[in-house]
Amino acid sequence: MNIIEIKGLKKDYPLGATVVNALRGIDLAVEEGELMSIVGPSGSGKTTLLNVIGCIDHATEGSVQIGGREITALNDREITGIRLHKIGFIFQTFNLIPVLDVRENVEFPLLLMKKYSGAELHKRADKLIEEVGLKEFTKHRPAELSGGQRQRVAIARALVTNPDIVLADEPTANLDSVTGASILELMKEMNRVEKTTFIFSTHDANVLQYAKRIVKIKDGLTVQ
Amino acid sequence: MKLILTIAWRNILRHKSKSLIIGFILFLGALLMTLGNGVISGMDRGVSKNIVNGFLGDIVIISEKQKTDNILLNMMGTSIEPIYNYKQIKQALQSQDYLDRFLPAGKNLALALTSESNQNPGFAFMLGVDFEAYRKMFPNAFTALEGGFLEPGKRGILVPVSARNEFFDYTNIWIIPEHGALVKENLPAETQKDPYSIFIDSAIVLMGMNESNSSTDIRFPVKGIIKYRALNTIFGHFSITDIESYRECLGYFSATGKSLDVPKEEQKLLSMESGDLDALFSEDTLMVSNERTRAQAPANVLQKNTPAPQADIEDGAYNLVFVKLKGRVSEKQALTRLNKALTDAHLGVRAITWKKASGPIGGMASLIKGALFIFVMLLFVVAIIIIINTLTMSALERTPEIGMMRAIGAKKSFISGMFLGETAILSAFFGGAGIVCGIIIVKIIPLLKIRTANDMLQILYGGDVFSPVLNTADILTTLVQLGIVTLCAALYPMLVARNITPLEAIARD
Ligand SMILES: Nc1ncnc2c1ncn2[C@@H]1O[C@H](COP(=O)(O)OP(=O)(O)OP(=O)(O)O)[C@@H](O)[C@H]1O
Ligand SMILES: [Mg+2]
Repeated sequence: MNIIEIKGLKKDYPLGATVVNALRGIDLAVEEGELMSIVGPSGSGKTTLLNVIGCIDHATEGSVQIGGREITALNDREITGIRLHKIGFIFQTFNLIPVLDVRENVEFPLLLMKKYSGAELHKRADKLIEEVGLKEFTKHRPAELSGGQRQRVAIARALVTNPDIVLADEPTANLDSVTGASILELMKEMNRVEKTTFIFSTHDANVLQYAKRIVKIKDGLTVQ
Repeated sequence: MKLILTIAWRNILRHKSKSLIIGFILFLGALLMTLGNGVISGMDRGVSKNIVNGFLGDIVIISEKQKTDNILLNMMGTSIEPIYNYKQIKQALQSQDYLDRFLPAGKNLALALTSESNQNPGFAFMLGVDFEAYRKMFPNAFTALEGGFLEPGKRGILVPVSARNEFFDYTNIWIIPEHGALVKENLPAETQKDPYSIFIDSAIVLMGMNESNSSTDIRFPVKGIIKYRALNTIFGHFSITDIESYRECLGYFSATGKSLDVPKEEQKLLSMESGDLDALFSEDTLMVSNERTRAQAPANVLQKNTPAPQADIEDGAYNLVFVKLKGRVSEKQALTRLNKALTDAHLGVRAITWKKASGPIGGMASLIKGALFIFVMLLFVVAIIIIINTLTMSALERTPEIGMMRAIGAKKSFISGMFLGETAILSAFFGGAGIVCGIIIVKIIPLLKIRTANDMLQILYGGDVFSPVLNTADILTTLVQLGIVTLCAALYPMLVARNITPLEAIARD
């Protein structure tokens, strides 16, 4: 079953008097459990595509279905619900809430869901923190962690809600190559263990080896 | 909820300087609001307590013919209508079980002529009472600064300090009590060095001002110089005389049931053309008074030391009846019941509240109250603007963080809640501290015994001594005000924050 189905997706950004056609008719289907990478030169539309899939930007035209549900016509409340329940997000930077420690950050989406008791919450969070290798750091605030450690926390947090899809826009761009590799290794491992669909974007050819599937995109269109 | 508060609390600690700015403003705002409310409340209580307990009682009964309700300082108005049927009124009052006490009194303006002066006449408000009954009705309303009080059956006047000073300014005559000595310390500062330059007298000749052209000059021996316990600048105009002399002075029918025996032509000469005060200042009148006063002891001035003998003092004329209520009954309720009883008995009188009766003072009090209210409102607005500014800046600075929270599923309400939580915590801590400090200051101020002789300030102070007060209702009001400030201040930043989109957060990356 396809967890994501995109048909004829267009995205225009108004820019002064003109319009930037960031996406110009993308068709894409993603199966459950995939580990997919979107690659393309700078400005090709990778971020835009991930944002639309992640429900933090609207499509101008076309259809986007997540888990069989059309998301292009949903209101803010419903969209927020999908972001919380169906999607996990890993950003390039500024992933964590500065005033919360590692465990609290990981628990944050669970608390928003309001469906877990305190003990269950801790159990889930601690399990993922352990899986990303930060057991010793549960009480640390983001400012006390390295860039790589922060990305690990972000991965744990993205996975803690058991989402359908985890999206990561150039998750390693701010990291050195060794740390970046370990983050991608972790994503690969989590994809294997948790069976979660991962989509990450990159323009670094070195990280492509971690992806099971690669989608190339150029000037707002997929290229085969 | 717990999560929101945790994040809010830690954000406060994280942005210490901003929190301190907002906190300081909330503290100051709450403090000043508390003080403002304390002063307003103290003023209300002080003025009402002093006027009710010291001068007018809760309710005043006046003649139905009396046009204006303001009978306390009706300086430029007409004289107060007399009441001739006190005995019947008394009967009606006695059957009202919610009344504590009542006292009939004469009250009107008089010209003060003095026996020695060749100066222009001064004015004096006269309050004619049965002195013993007066002391029971308004105990401790004043103290004798020099001399003593009025004796039963004897003619006499008690002159308040401020009336004496005023009189001195007009006439250069310094009033001292009969058989009294000059008390140098009480003299105005500028004359203390050379007390022999002034004239001294221990009697005042008063001529009642009344529309019925029947007033008479009466020579009142000064029995004492008094000082009211509070609001001397208001009460201090009122000299207290015995009721019989007052009636003679005003030319009312006295208790003996006879009009005073004053020659017709003299009456005409002495009295006004009308009650209109302007007539007083016409050349003619002033000349007449000058001539008369120069004659030292005018022929028709009643010099006897006792007023005309009386059959029953309560048969004579009065102007007002002061009424005090029992503690339990509400003023409004009592007024309605009393007025019904008075109307039903066809007594030709009506009851009004002390507030109405004290006219301009109530007005002045509301004026000051209004000014204070505007001050508190201004404070409100300034505090709100500064907090809005700071919080909005803070919201914008946190755009990436807020956008990221939204991206991972936080609802708009969560973001607003976070901001409201922050403001609420600051408000509770600093605003609370401000209120507590305000309460402490309000409690300390009366202990400092800050005094004033200034008219306006005395009203603001609610008496001679600055005594702000805060009751539970005032504190609740302040809390509500603080709550409103918090909400108003948080509203706009909340809106800004909740409308931050995840996209904006990413765009910043
Ligand atoms: N908010 C915006 N307003 C206007 N134009 C935009 C906006 N966001 C993106 N664009 C434009 O859309 C196109 C696609 O941008 P996008 O960020 O998706 O590229 P990208 O592939 O992620 O590039 P990079 O590898 O540099 O991150 C670019 O030409 C960009 O200038
Ligand atoms: Mg990009």
